[in-house]
Amino acid sequence: MSDLEKKIDIGDGAAIPDPKDRGLFSAWWIALIGTISLLVFLPMFKPDPYGKVLLFIPDGILITFEVTILSISLALVIGLVTGLGRISTNRFFNLTASLYVEVVRGIPLLVQLFYIYFALGRFVLVPDLVAAVIAMSFCYGAYMGEVFRAGIKSIDFGQTEASLSLGFNQRQTMTYVILPQAWRTILPPVGNEFIALLKDTSLVSILAVSDILRRGREYASESFNYFETYTMIALVYLLITLILSKLISNMEHRLSYYERR
Amino acid sequence: MLKKALLTLVALSVLCGSAWAETKIVFAVDATWPPMEFVNSQKEIVGFAIDFLKAAGKEAGFTPVFKNTSWDGIFAGLASGKYDAISSSVSITEARKKAMDFSAPYFTVQQALIVNKDSSVRSLADLKGKKVGGQIGTTGYFAIKAAEGLTPKSYDEIGLAMEDLNVGRISAVVCDDPVAANYALIKYKDTLKIAAVIKTGEVENYGFAVKKGNSKVLDLLNKGIAAVKAKGIDLELKKKWIGQ
Repeated sequence: MSDLEKKIDIGDGAAIPDPKDRGLFSAWWIALIGTISLLVFLPMFKPDPYGKVLLFIPDGILITFEVTILSISLALVIGLVTGLGRISTNRFFNLTASLYVEVVRGIPLLVQLFYIYFALGRFVLVPDLVAAVIAMSFCYGAYMGEVFRAGIKSIDFGQTEASLSLGFNQRQTMTYVILPQAWRTILPPVGNEFIALLKDTSLVSILAVSDILRRGREYASESFNYFETYTMIALVYLLITLILSKLISNMEHRLSYYERR
Repeated sequence: MLKKALLTLVALSVLCGSAWAETKIVFAVDATWPPMEFVNSQKEIVGFAIDFLKAAGKEAGFTPVFKNTSWDGIFAGLASGKYDAISSSVSITEARKKAMDFSAPYFTVQQALIVNKDSSVRSLADLKGKKVGGQIGTTGYFAIKAAEGLTPKSYDEIGLAMEDLNVGRISAVVCDDPVAANYALIKYKDTLKIAAVIKTGEVENYGFAVKKGNSKVLDLLNKGIAAVKAKGIDLELKKKWIGQ
């Protein structure tokens, strides 16, 4: 097995549509068509309450995306630094990064959200959306760090040796030789983390952030249409993640050109 | 012979005993609403409504059992039969009456506006463009949503809204006045105050909610409420939990 074929195992169980499966009867297509038809037909046949729910949540969808995109961007930066720290030979840097990963991975995201929002709120006042983004990226930065670490480690040490022997220093080796190759293996799991993060943003609804779920809960609490509301909420989330998982699967397909030869 | 008679008697008394044993009514309580219902430091659910129901149970012959339930799903749980009734400071509203049945009123409330101590706000109208918090699905939150020009923010628990007001993330909180008094006069007495009572036009009463058509539980409850009121126990409880 050459270096270029190495892949990171996707461990979080998020199902990725098989890039090679182009048939119409794949699980992905069935799920997508089912979701879209339910999202269209339910409000058509019963505008009250299905249609009303859909009209109630669009600003929540915006907030969900806002939190997701801001968090993933921050988490990528944190993850890169952490990943480099985890493989660094600098004792201090290495220890700090490892400690961060250990601590964050050991605390449930929900608890972290409460902590950053309410516990730290006594000392530093951050607006709700900022608190949500900080908490999400702080948590996902640690996961991302592990992805980066695995990705960088998947590049054979021979590459580093060759680069060093050509006169590159450590940093140049990392930026010009290792990272450009590691990206290919890192991107698919990063995509998965992106989807996982999007789903986990539903947790920020406890911070009174008006995301999709909170908008739904507000609607349900006023109309008592629990079944209808949560059906629509689930379908909206499903539609978003289905589209995203397809995009990631396509990306993975493109990045796997070395295997397709 | 004597033995047999005795045994029969014992069996009878056991049977009668169980028949006489008071009916249990399971109440869902979101125990985050002091002083009406909350969890004390001994992890017991206590409060005005809890004592009220215990007294009503004594009068009407039922034993109330309290089940701590989060407010967000409390009405859904009633509809699906997870418990017999809700005792959670539920205001009787027309919209809710369509989804469930209510007992006779047991407490009258108004909506209070709570702000920071140094705030000059005197009414909801002064809060244009500001964030105002309330508990999700409560009449307080509905009042915020009905007001024009402000940003409503819904919380899972009223305590979380109070904390956000305390640190300054939001400008005001709206909730039932006994709860407002508990937070503004006791818990956060150095930082918060009650700015005003919001006039909604109609009298707002708490009632115990039961699943639509559950007249058996409803009759028992109404019998108990009437007896408690007739004996003046509710006034005693008011003194105990709310003061004056």
